[in-house]
Amino acid sequence: MSRRLELEGLTRRFGSVTALAELSFSVESGRVVGFLGPNGAGKTTAMRAIFDLTDLDAGTVRWDGATVGHDQRRSFGYMPEERGLYPGMRVAEQIEYLGRLHGLDAPAAARAAAHWLERLGVAGRAEDKVESLSHGNQQRVQLAAAIVHDPELLVLDEPLAGLDPTGIDDVGRVLVEQARSGRGVLFSSHQLDQVEDLCEDVIIIDHGRLVAAGTVDELAAGGSRRLLVRVDGDRDGAWARELAGVHVSEAAAGALRLALDPNTDTQAVLHAAMAAGPVSEFSIQRRRLSEVFREAVSG
Amino acid sequence: MRLTDIRLIAAREVRARVRGRVFRAGTALILAGVTAAIVIPKLTKASASTARVGVAAGVPAAAREVVGAAAKRAGQPVLIVGESSPGAARSALRAGRLDLVVEPERLVVEKPISAGDTSTEATFVRDLAAALGTLRAYRQAGLSAVQASRLSKSRPFEIASLEAAHKNTIKTASIIGVILIFIMLTQYLTWTLMGVMEEKSSRVVEVLLSAVRPLQLLAGKVLGIGLVAMGQATVVVVFALGLAEAVGSTILNGAGPATIGSALLWLLLGYAFYSWVYAAAGSTIERQDQVQSLALPLSLPMILGYVMALVTAGSGTPSTFFEILAYLPPTAPFAMPILVGLGRVAPWQFAASVLISVAATVLVARVAAGVYRRAVLRTGGRVNWRELLRA
Repeated sequence: MSRRLELEGLTRRFGSVTALAELSFSVESGRVVGFLGPNGAGKTTAMRAIFDLTDLDAGTVRWDGATVGHDQRRSFGYMPEERGLYPGMRVAEQIEYLGRLHGLDAPAAARAAAHWLERLGVAGRAEDKVESLSHGNQQRVQLAAAIVHDPELLVLDEPLAGLDPTGIDDVGRVLVEQARSGRGVLFSSHQLDQVEDLCEDVIIIDHGRLVAAGTVDELAAGGSRRLLVRVDGDRDGAWARELAGVHVSEAAAGALRLALDPNTDTQAVLHAAMAAGPVSEFSIQRRRLSEVFREAVSG
Repeated sequence: MRLTDIRLIAAREVRARVRGRVFRAGTALILAGVTAAIVIPKLTKASASTARVGVAAGVPAAAREVVGAAAKRAGQPVLIVGESSPGAARSALRAGRLDLVVEPERLVVEKPISAGDTSTEATFVRDLAAALGTLRAYRQAGLSAVQASRLSKSRPFEIASLEAAHKNTIKTASIIGVILIFIMLTQYLTWTLMGVMEEKSSRVVEVLLSAVRPLQLLAGKVLGIGLVAMGQATVVVVFALGLAEAVGSTILNGAGPATIGSALLWLLLGYAFYSWVYAAAGSTIERQDQVQSLALPLSLPMILGYVMALVTAGSGTPSTFFEILAYLPPTAPFAMPILVGLGRVAPWQFAASVLISVAATVLVARVAAGVYRRAVLRTGGRVNWRELLRA
């Protein structure tokens, strides 16, 4: 049976600053949900609200329709934005300790700690102090701390930040596995390409308000049509910027991603491109998540 | 509230603290101090070497008894050696075979004794000179040798008082107790302050509070450090009693169960009261330099109680102000053990002070838990105390 985390009408003000403004969204179990927004949008405050780590001026957090209480929160896993572990404590001991605080008995906590340290590639550092680990390995240990008690819901604030590509792949696989095994996974990130690869659902907030939400496919399919055009020898895409009904979305590696107004004729765009030089690539594309994000937060 | 969580948090604190070098070094220092307090006085007494006293021919026989009595009064072991003549006795003195010679009309020592010399040996020589002078006066007054001997053995009148006498050793044990309470409270409360600050600054508190309630986390930390404190205190007391027994020290003779129990109880009550205050204060800061600025004002009541306790122990006469301090929870851990040591407190007064301290601790803990809950997750700026206390 699918379970659901619901945030309803969350409002939080810090003096004159409104961090959350009647924010509502939900996270289904079995799905990886990307939580996006510019810096200061309210992502961290919303995640902390799930764990009662910030006072709310209004709103409720529910799990399976019931207001989330302390016992329920203990069954969730949390990775805060600012990483937090005891620097002088040994890695395995620390993970076991946190597992026990989440309700595991000692043997189960030891087994789970060993399993996750192995799974995340830091088993060889189990007896080392956390402070002796590299940033990337500390990040892996932090994820192990969030996941050691086999949580029903994982809430991870920037779990990919600071990881190398291998680390991103490892952590990404774990998140997807968790969702496939029926857990809910909500994570924030500014690495939109990774979010697009990993997530089924995306939530975008800005100034504490929800500005877009849906599956990656739904969000990608919406909005204006996209063209990818590569004109050999063209570096700045000046030809496209002069066309009516055409907006340059991205320009990178000699290719332009163009957003077209509803009435813009793609054939007219093709002719203009050919006039600028030899066209080696011309295709209609879905919106990328980065484009969805920019449009959502700029509107 | 799950007690298991508090136990887990306390156990982690105990492990972390006991493993630390600071704890081991601190315990070693305290044990070294206790060893010095017990052994050095014993060694000082034992080092009063036997004085060889030559009694020259012609000195009345009663003089030997006078020498023995003076030696006993001064705590100076002596060996009396008969010498055939004053000349022979002086030769032995020069040769170092004797330390002192009694001649019919004088005492002879090798080197002059200064007026300011208060050593056991000097005290003995002066006392002996006075006693021999008295013996000579008796004989000149025409008393027989037996009469003179009796008079020379006269004992002073006993001085009685309406109030019971208080042995100095009781006071000594209480003073040692108060010093240890101050050292331990300072050490463990600083741990509490820094421990809370470090959990906040390392942000691990956010991970912990996603699993346990703030009050559980705070109670576990206070309990864990408190267990380490009481464990260390117990080790120190057992060590001190064992060492005193082993070396035959009398310094703890007066330290009956009441004195030791009182010191341990007030260490516990003092820690219980202050630990919440220090924990709440630690939750408002994030940096090492802020610890220093908070530690001094927080410790002022302790310093007041400690200094007043030492002054009162020295004078032996508690003032009204000091007696009031014995009922105020911030200063009672220092004042009350001294009143117990001086025998100046009735059981009901002791119990009243304990009850006041327990009640105040409950109140302080409630306020502290609220401050901790509101402050420990606030980072990046100075926390407004008024806001924390009001909310």
